[in-house]
Formats: sequence, structure tokens, C-alpha cells
Amino acid sequence: MLSKITVSPAPHISQKLSTRGVMGDVIIGLAPAMAAAIWFFHLQAVGVILTCVTACMASEWICNLIRKKPNSLGDLSAVVTGLILAFSLPPAIPLWAAVIGSAFAIVICKMLFGGLGANIFNPAMAARAFLTASFGMLMTTWTVPATVDTQMPKISATNTVAVTQATPLAWAKSAIKGKADVKEVNAMLKGTFWGNVGGCLGETSSFALLLGGVYLLIRRTITFHIPAAVLIAAFVFAEIFYLINPDKYSMPFVQLFGGGMLICAFFIATDPVTAPLSAKGMWIFGVGVGALIMLIRFVGEYPEGVMYAVLIMNAVSPLIDRACKLIPAGGKPHVQ
Amino acid sequence: MADIRGKFTFPGGTHPPENKHFSENSSIEVVPVPKQVAVLLSQHLGAVCVPTVAKKDTVTAGQVIGKSDAFVSAPIHSPVNGTVKDITLEPHPVIGRTMAVIIETAEEGNAPKQPVNTRFDKNFDPNDYTVEQICRAVKDAGIVGMGGAGFPTRVKIEPNPAMPKEVLVINACECEPFITCDYRVMLEWTWQMLAGIRLAAKAAECEKIRIGIEDNKPEAINVITDAIQERSDIGDIQVVPVKTKYPQGGERQLIKSVLGKTVPTGSIPPTIGICVLNVATCAAIAEAVMTGNPLTHRVVTVAGCAIAKPGNYYVPIGMRVENLIAHCGGLTETAAKVVMGGPMMGFAIADLSTPLTKTSGALTFLTKAAVTRAKYEKQETPCIRCGRCLSVCPEHLNPTKIAHAVKHFRMDIAQNYYLSACIECGCCSYVCPANIEITGYIKTGKILKAREKKRLG
Repeated sequence: MLSKITVSPAPHISQKLSTRGVMGDVIIGLAPAMAAAIWFFHLQAVGVILTCVTACMASEWICNLIRKKPNSLGDLSAVVTGLILAFSLPPAIPLWAAVIGSAFAIVICKMLFGGLGANIFNPAMAARAFLTASFGMLMTTWTVPATVDTQMPKISATNTVAVTQATPLAWAKSAIKGKADVKEVNAMLKGTFWGNVGGCLGETSSFALLLGGVYLLIRRTITFHIPAAVLIAAFVFAEIFYLINPDKYSMPFVQLFGGGMLICAFFIATDPVTAPLSAKGMWIFGVGVGALIMLIRFVGEYPEGVMYAVLIMNAVSPLIDRACKLIPAGGKPHVQ
Repeated sequence: MADIRGKFTFPGGTHPPENKHFSENSSIEVVPVPKQVAVLLSQHLGAVCVPTVAKKDTVTAGQVIGKSDAFVSAPIHSPVNGTVKDITLEPHPVIGRTMAVIIETAEEGNAPKQPVNTRFDKNFDPNDYTVEQICRAVKDAGIVGMGGAGFPTRVKIEPNPAMPKEVLVINACECEPFITCDYRVMLEWTWQMLAGIRLAAKAAECEKIRIGIEDNKPEAINVITDAIQERSDIGDIQVVPVKTKYPQGGERQLIKSVLGKTVPTGSIPPTIGICVLNVATCAAIAEAVMTGNPLTHRVVTVAGCAIAKPGNYYVPIGMRVENLIAHCGGLTETAAKVVMGGPMMGFAIADLSTPLTKTSGALTFLTKAAVTRAKYEKQETPCIRCGRCLSVCPEHLNPTKIAHAVKHFRMDIAQNYYLSACIECGCCSYVCPANIEITGYIKTGKILKAREKKRLG
């Protein structure tokens, strides 16, 4: 019996929480958005999601096999990457492109950096950037949800840009450029809350994303810092622009609920691996993401800024960590 | 009973399951004298004692068997009558192996020592003793902090003109899961403990006394508050209920909670005029001053799922763990870990013949289920930088950064992130989803640093 007694450093008990549990929670948090995606885009969504998740898991399995490392699929992080990548792709993307994106995310962005915990950039966002750069057309072809029978209402007789071909934000941007009435655009965009609009798979339903985000907050899988910082920064940024020129820029709430803002705030920017460690660092990171998204949306050529905002902030997050070095509770010691 | 809620606390910390139910309602029980005791010559921090007895010497209970001339040291005494069988290496819970005096107990005249709590009542007056008498008695009795680190108490309470002390904080938190020995002392030896507190306050010249108790022990709070109210003339002494949170009983955390003061990093409480003593230590002070008895026995909590008869036992210091296990009905089949101390900061022992020391307040017997499977199988996964360790660190450090620096022998980085400010409470390892032994790495780092210092002279 004595042989069964083991020794190890203290503490000898631990919270029943594992990396697998954390990732599992993120998957549960993404479930409402997945349900919404399948509800709105039917089989298209099922295909893209299944393809991305399977391809991500397969890539990780093969990488571990080649590197002669133990299989790490059990931590479920590949599933999360696959889901987030799928959610940020347009529904009509050909499945072969989804496979290439998934392989890029896992092989190049994660495993080559050293696997879980060692990657600098969010794998899903980096893969999306790769796909955007490689297959620009595929990445900007939007289809209407299968549940929408008719086309979304045309903006006005003076503009013929059809919503069926664009995400709400892209539509709004071009509509405004085409001298459409901003107020009318705003009114129409308010309908995006439930998600019956065109866009990436996972970002259409703000309601589902909020539901999942609240779940993660309740489970303390994520802390409130990053989502709060992203949303507050984006809101303030948008509000300032809106106040300066309400004829040119859409309402702040439209910006918060439209596009990838919510999925970014709750699921992408909160990826612990690529975000800073300390609370102060998280605030800076979140504010940076929020402000960059709005800057790209308002000033840049792209209608959507989530991807590049996250990647840019990922790149500076080690610097943020270094700048926000914690000071011990008792102050800095006099002699080191 | 009115619901007592502690108002005060410190930032950070965590809430491991308390698990006090195993032993909190068991009265302190005297155990029979074991056939053999092994008194370790290194009981605590500070200098190792030199044996003052030789092989085959006859010793009596309370006789000095080891001492040291170093300032930070405390003598050790034989807990029993008997003969010295050998002076040899014995397993030590913390430092591996160390010298110990092994005493075979005499077959006759060895009734187990009884607690002396009945000799104290509310009429005790510390003014019967002078400061010199108190300090002398504490020094001769070899009293050390019985809460964990074991710093010699004499050094703490002696008047020191360089660092005058104003407040005496009594650490009655017992924030570690499973441990209830201090709780039982508070309930059963209330007057003895209060006598010790007043003696210590007198020696340390502290005007203010604050007793910090976690609010999960309402009975202890009531008993002590009532006792204090029975004596209105004993000065500024108050019970401060604090929130139940681990590590509330860390002295830096307790000072923050009770007094709102912060002990500077790298300093000790006396630098800001505070002296912190543990409950059991106070009881030992009272016993030493009143009866002259040295510290040879202490209350040890035996708890956990893997032991047949949990409880609180009054045992001779030097008793081997296996003897106490036998007295408590033996280990169950599911035993996976034997920990000297609580599960958060205690030391897992591999050799059950390890003797108990002055600082071992508990023996925790954990099953595989209590240890959790991942920890039992030592599955460590990569750090996902979730930041949980940062948010629970009561010292506001960056545990993962320090741990990973130590892992790769980058002592410069570890030190730059305040390696030495760590109090080793274990909160970071407890919450880590990747099951990384963060505290273990940090402890290793401290040892590496000490070695480096030694090498450089």
C-alpha cells in the first residue's frame, strides 16, 4: 500500500479546472452563435463549421505525429480555433478554401510557434487574413441568410446597392458613400440585432453572441476587462465621430451590434494566449482593439476592421505585458 | 447564534473547500506515549541544534537535548523519560534528512503529559511576571511559531529598541483547509491562550491587541469575545472577524485585513511596529511562563478521507507519523498522499517514519479523489496565459512569469519579477487550469538563488 503514496510540491489539492474545461466552456459559449448560424444559413453553415473543425483537428493531429509529440487534441483548443475561423468566414466560401484556412491556422500560426500557449497571433484571425489576401473574391461574397425570402429592402431609388451582396456594415458604408440618408440606413441596421442579415457565419446574431459572452463571464472563463474595454472604446470612438458628423457616420450602437464587433469582444480578443496577462494590460489591449476596429471601419477602405485590429494588438501584447509589469503588494523592494 | 460576517479582507486569494468537518468537533485527545520518539535537531528556520546528550544517556521529560548559540535558534527538549538510543539521520518533512535524537521511552513512570489549560482562569494576571521572566521562560522553553514557519518566538517578542512594537496581532485564522488544531485550542484552552496573549503583549510592549479570526469559526469568535468581556480591565484587546478566504492567515495578509497596513516587500512586520503570533504559540507561552514546561507537546489535527479516525490529538513532538496513524486506526485503502501540514502549504512525506516537529499542526491524509486526478498523475499542460494566477496572487505578483523563468534557469528574469516576494501560499498552483506546479517552481527558484548567493560568498 505504501507504494501508492506520492509526493509533490504543495499545494496538494487543486481546483477542478483544466485547459480542456476552459476550452469546453468557450465551445458552449459559442453554441448559441452556432445555432444561429445554422438557423440562418442552414446546410451551408453546417458544412463550413464541420469542415473547419475537422480540418483544424486533423492538422493538429498530423503536426503532433510529425513532431513525435503526444496527441494534444484533448485540450479542445483546435476545436475552438476551428469554430472561430468558421464563424468569421462567409457562408458561401468553398469548402476547399476553408480547409486551406484551417490548415494555415493550425500548422503555420499555432504548431510552428510551439503549439498551444506559444502562438503570437490568434490563429483564426491570422488564417482569415491569409484567406483574405489569397482569395479576396471568395472572402467578400456574401449571401443572404436562407431564412430571408426576399431581398433586404433597397435603400432608396438613388442607390441600387443590394444588401444581398454585402454585410450590413459594407452596405452601410457604400450606401453612405452613395449619398444615402444616414438616418434611413441607421433605422434599417437596427434590425441586425437578431441576426437575420448577411455576414460572416458567426457574427450575424448579436443576441446569440451576447448570450454566449454572458455565459463565459458567469463561468469566469473570461474576465470582463477585455470585452468591456473593446466595447467602451469602440462606442466612445463611434460616438465622437457620430457627434461630429451624424450625416457621414452611422450610429454607435449600429457599430457595436454590426459586423464582428461582439464576437471579437467576447471570443476573439479574449483569447488568453494572445492577450496580455494583467488586468491593466487587458484594458490597454481592449481599448486598442476597439479603437482600431472603429478606425479601420470609419477611415480605412475595409468595411470591417476586427481581423486587422486583433492582429495588430496581438503583435503588441508582449510589449503591453512588459509595460504593465505588476508591482508587488508591498511596493518595490529596496534591495533586490 | 448570530451570524457573524467578517468585514475585512485582502485583495487576491482563493476559496479552496474548507473541509473542516473531519475534525472540528473532536475535542483535543491525549495520545499514549509511543515506544520511541525521534526529536529532530532542525525543527524550524534558523540554526540547527547541537545535541547536548550522548548515546545511552538517560533523559527525563523536559530535559534539554539540543541547543545552539546562534541568535535565531531555539533549544529542543525530550518529551519523555527514557534513554538515548542513537543520534542519527532521520527523515525530515522539509529538508530531506537531518540529525535527530532517538529516545527509547522508559517502560515505567511515563504517563502521557496532560494539557495544562485547567490551571488558567480569568483571574490570571500577567503582571505577576516581569518582562525578563517572560522572555527567559520563552527562550528556555524553545518556543517557535507553531503556525508554520517556526520562527523562534523569543526573537519576535523580546523588546527591541530599534523596532518598537505597538500592535500585537493574533493569528487565529487557520485558513488552511482541514486544519482545526488552533480552533480547538481557542475553544478548549481559551484562558490559557488569553494568558499567553497578554504575556506576549507585555513582553513585546504592545498596547493594542487584535485577534483576527475567520468568520467560518463563529463559535471561536463568540467564546473569545465573551472571555474578553468577562475581564474589562485587560486593556485594548479586540476580536476582529475577517472574511474566510485563503491565505487570510498569512501574516502579511492578516495585517492588511485587520489593520489595513501593508508590510513593505522584503520586510518583516516589526519594521512597521507589528508583532504577529499564532494561537498555539500563545498557549505555549502561557504554559512556559506559568509552569516552566518546555515546548514538548502540541495539538495536531489528523484529517482527511484516507484516515480511519480523524481528530485533534495532543502528541509529543518527535512522535513518528506511523505511530500516530496507528493510533488513529490506520490508513484506508484509498490513501494517495500523506501531507504534514494542510493541503495548500504542507509537505507531502514519502517516509511514514518521519517525526512530527514543533511546526506540524496537522497531518492530512488525501485520497486520489481529493488530490484530483490531473495532479495525482502530474499532467502538466502548456500555460495558456489565462492570468488566473495573477488575479489570485495575494502579493500581486506574476507567478507564471516567475515560474517559467525558473523553469528555464533565467534567474535574472525571475528576480526581476520579484521572486523573493512570493509567500508560497499555493493559490497560483491551486487555480492553474494547466496544472502547472507554479509554487513548486518558485520554491525551486528560491533555493537556486540561495545556492547562487552561497557560491558567490
